[in-house]
Amino acid sequence: MSERDGGIETAMLPDVEIVELENGFRALLVERGPLPVVASLLWYRIGARDEKTGETGVSHFLEHMMFKGTDRFPKGQIDLLTSKMGGSNNAFTDNDSTAYYFAMAADRWETALEIEASRMRECLLDPREFASEKNVVLEELAMGEDDPWRPLYQATESLIYQVHPYHHPVIGWRQDLERLSVQQMRDYYARHYGPNRAFLVVVGAIDKARTAARIRELFGSLPRASEREEPIREPVPVGERRACLRTPHSVTRLCIGFPTCRMGERDDYALDVIAHDLGNSKNSRLYRRLVLKEELVTEVSVMNETRQDPGAIFFLFELRDGASLARVEAIVREEIGKQIEEGVGKKDLERIRAQIRSSFLFQDEAVLDLAMKLARFEAGTPEGFRTLATVLPTYDSLTQKELREAAAKYLDFDRAAIVTAVPAAAKAPSRKGRAPARKAEGARRKRR
Amino acid sequence: MSDSLRLSIAERELPSGLTLLAVHNPRVRTFACAVSLDIRPGDEPEDRSGLAHLVGECLDEGTSHHDALGLAAAVERIGASMEGNARGGVVMGPAASQKEALDLLREMVLEPEFPGREVRRVQAEIVTEIRAEEDDPRSVAARRFRREIYGDHPLGRPPHGTLRSLGKLKPKDLRAFHDAWFRPAGGFVAAAGPMEPERLLDQLTKVFGRFRGKPAKHVPMADVDLAATSRDAHLPMSREQVHVFLGHIGIRRTHPDFYVLSLMDHVLGTGPGFTSRVSKKLRDEQGLCYAVSAGITASAGEEPGTFTAYIGTSPEHRQKAIDGFLTEIRRIRSEPPSPQELQDVKDYLTGSFVFGLERNTNLAAYAIRARRFGLGFDFLQRYPDVVRAITPEQVREAAERHLHPDRLVVVSAGAS
Repeated sequence: MSERDGGIETAMLPDVEIVELENGFRALLVERGPLPVVASLLWYRIGARDEKTGETGVSHFLEHMMFKGTDRFPKGQIDLLTSKMGGSNNAFTDNDSTAYYFAMAADRWETALEIEASRMRECLLDPREFASEKNVVLEELAMGEDDPWRPLYQATESLIYQVHPYHHPVIGWRQDLERLSVQQMRDYYARHYGPNRAFLVVVGAIDKARTAARIRELFGSLPRASEREEPIREPVPVGERRACLRTPHSVTRLCIGFPTCRMGERDDYALDVIAHDLGNSKNSRLYRRLVLKEELVTEVSVMNETRQDPGAIFFLFELRDGASLARVEAIVREEIGKQIEEGVGKKDLERIRAQIRSSFLFQDEAVLDLAMKLARFEAGTPEGFRTLATVLPTYDSLTQKELREAAAKYLDFDRAAIVTAVPAAAKAPSRKGRAPARKAEGARRKRR
Repeated sequence: MSDSLRLSIAERELPSGLTLLAVHNPRVRTFACAVSLDIRPGDEPEDRSGLAHLVGECLDEGTSHHDALGLAAAVERIGASMEGNARGGVVMGPAASQKEALDLLREMVLEPEFPGREVRRVQAEIVTEIRAEEDDPRSVAARRFRREIYGDHPLGRPPHGTLRSLGKLKPKDLRAFHDAWFRPAGGFVAAAGPMEPERLLDQLTKVFGRFRGKPAKHVPMADVDLAATSRDAHLPMSREQVHVFLGHIGIRRTHPDFYVLSLMDHVLGTGPGFTSRVSKKLRDEQGLCYAVSAGITASAGEEPGTFTAYIGTSPEHRQKAIDGFLTEIRRIRSEPPSPQELQDVKDYLTGSFVFGLERNTNLAAYAIRARRFGLGFDFLQRYPDVVRAITPEQVREAAERHLHPDRLVVVSAGAS
């Protein structure tokens, strides 16, 4: 452990008690005080990745329906009980997962476990509720269509993935949603929702032994669901892919995506560092060049989105008034070329490591953040949450050579997907540009 | 009330009139510090709208010791993050680098240089931001809604300014604004982290002790009146959804009805999940929307906020949604919530406020709020009793006093 990080490595991995049940269910328990709060996070290995053509969006829609009542907790009860317990709940769906979480006062949080156990297999999926909630989901879809970033991001993702289910937006295609029947959703739920496809993380002021006993009691007799199937693999692209969106917005935007690797692979760490060096801070290459020096764009953001199956890295730009798209793209190519050739400067590397280290530290402030951190690694890496013990040493051990090689391997324009979003009124794509209200939030869909 | 909710907060007022606050958060290895000076919306000259915001945005664009990149690098090297705002700024980082981070925060807030090139660049970025907002029907409707409610009051101006007002601002205007209003008197510096509060106060005193200056003379602001009658405006834009805002002038944070109204808000429109009446009706039962809310306390601050009901829906549902809001507003004014409904809200509020105490930035903000609005640091201990004592009839009376369904401003933007 180095002096510089003040002992962060050793504390990255909290003391976790593991509960394993015969039906494949697993729970990670972390006791943490002194605030009397508990976060409970139930993570399902079910997401848009598991959907077939014709049923896209069902994972996310089902996530909404999981609040609409079970045998034991009728409609409205889940939210009411949560709020009566002084808590909050929410859920999200992304390409690989669906997660449900509660943050509650420590003296009453166990109701969250009862709710989760009940809705793992006994969600009612009432046809009337289904019909009404479908409207809500369609409104959510419409909201996304109006967003300046989401259609751009989705078009890029759909270009990168031509055959793999990551091709489909997490919220689904409108026509699939409109046609989706309650029976299709019931089948999907019965097939996928079960203890072997889920794990639980509980962090906070808990009694671990009591919690473990309660988990066994509530989840122990639940029957397994089917095992997860491997979707079709995405072939390596054999050339650049391009698309141009005409939008009702008056700002020109650009997204460039490259297919990458799986979460937790060594290259994933390298890509995190490269993403920092290229975008995401004032001192990054693309910000310095495009925002500060050339004054062509107002915002640069780089997202290294690794996933269960090989993910992608996205570069998003918002162009300034009058800036030329061709010029911006040429500079991005040039700067990525320099990144591949020069690697990450020594001082820059230190700065980036300090940023990464403290981003992990901040996730320890709140119980829900800590639960999310554990769950993300549990779900996404072969060693599960234990990966956290090696995360910072892995970042520190990356060599300059490895960083250059990773940049060269993945930031290859022969595999790029390039999408521009230009004002529908504009004749030429390089016309007026305008700026960012929100950054794209990636593929995650939240309940509210 | 459990002892774990007893916050240890220390306070020290410096001779300059600056108040230092230190909150003890022993279980974390990070810290945060916020500077919030006594700068008011009326301090910005009417023809310089957007100036205060621009000053905040440009604080980190170069100081007497660092240029913009140098300052950003210094912050990032210690694993911190820092940003300026119209009243000061915030830094957060690992507790191990607290001293360096506080020095950088002081430097950014008190010694900005506002270099011409950087100011012009940020101005151009804000211009782009304003144009993007003009593309976004929700922002368009929100801005017009404020304008309709506040009229010529400084709060009716768009905080970013307008394309015209922004274009006129020069670096010397930023320097003059900073000289005139970035004064210690009436301001707060609040830090939260694992350091013992008295020691933390000593450290803050060392860093901010030399911040001097005469108190500023604020420009008094006129009161805002309710609209004489209801009015309705729609701004058509080619989009999928229409965004509707409905409401009127609200209350200050110091209003004695604040707590009763916060219960009313939860019953009516800001309850968690879909427990509030408007989300149950408009989202859960009728499926009209993804996002819906209504409330008066969230925006209550030093100046009066607004009662705001919001929904994003399809254009064919616009009137149905407005009618739905009106029905619920009239209902909460005429009949008290059921004892059970109110009890559910009380259970939520008394159990949930502890979640606001987890993060350092929230703790620092809490300390400032407690002092600025005279809540007292024992507020957390008293709060549950204050909430429990409120009766259903008090909620109805407060709703009748503060909600005015016949004097509403309705503004929508988006699909027609």
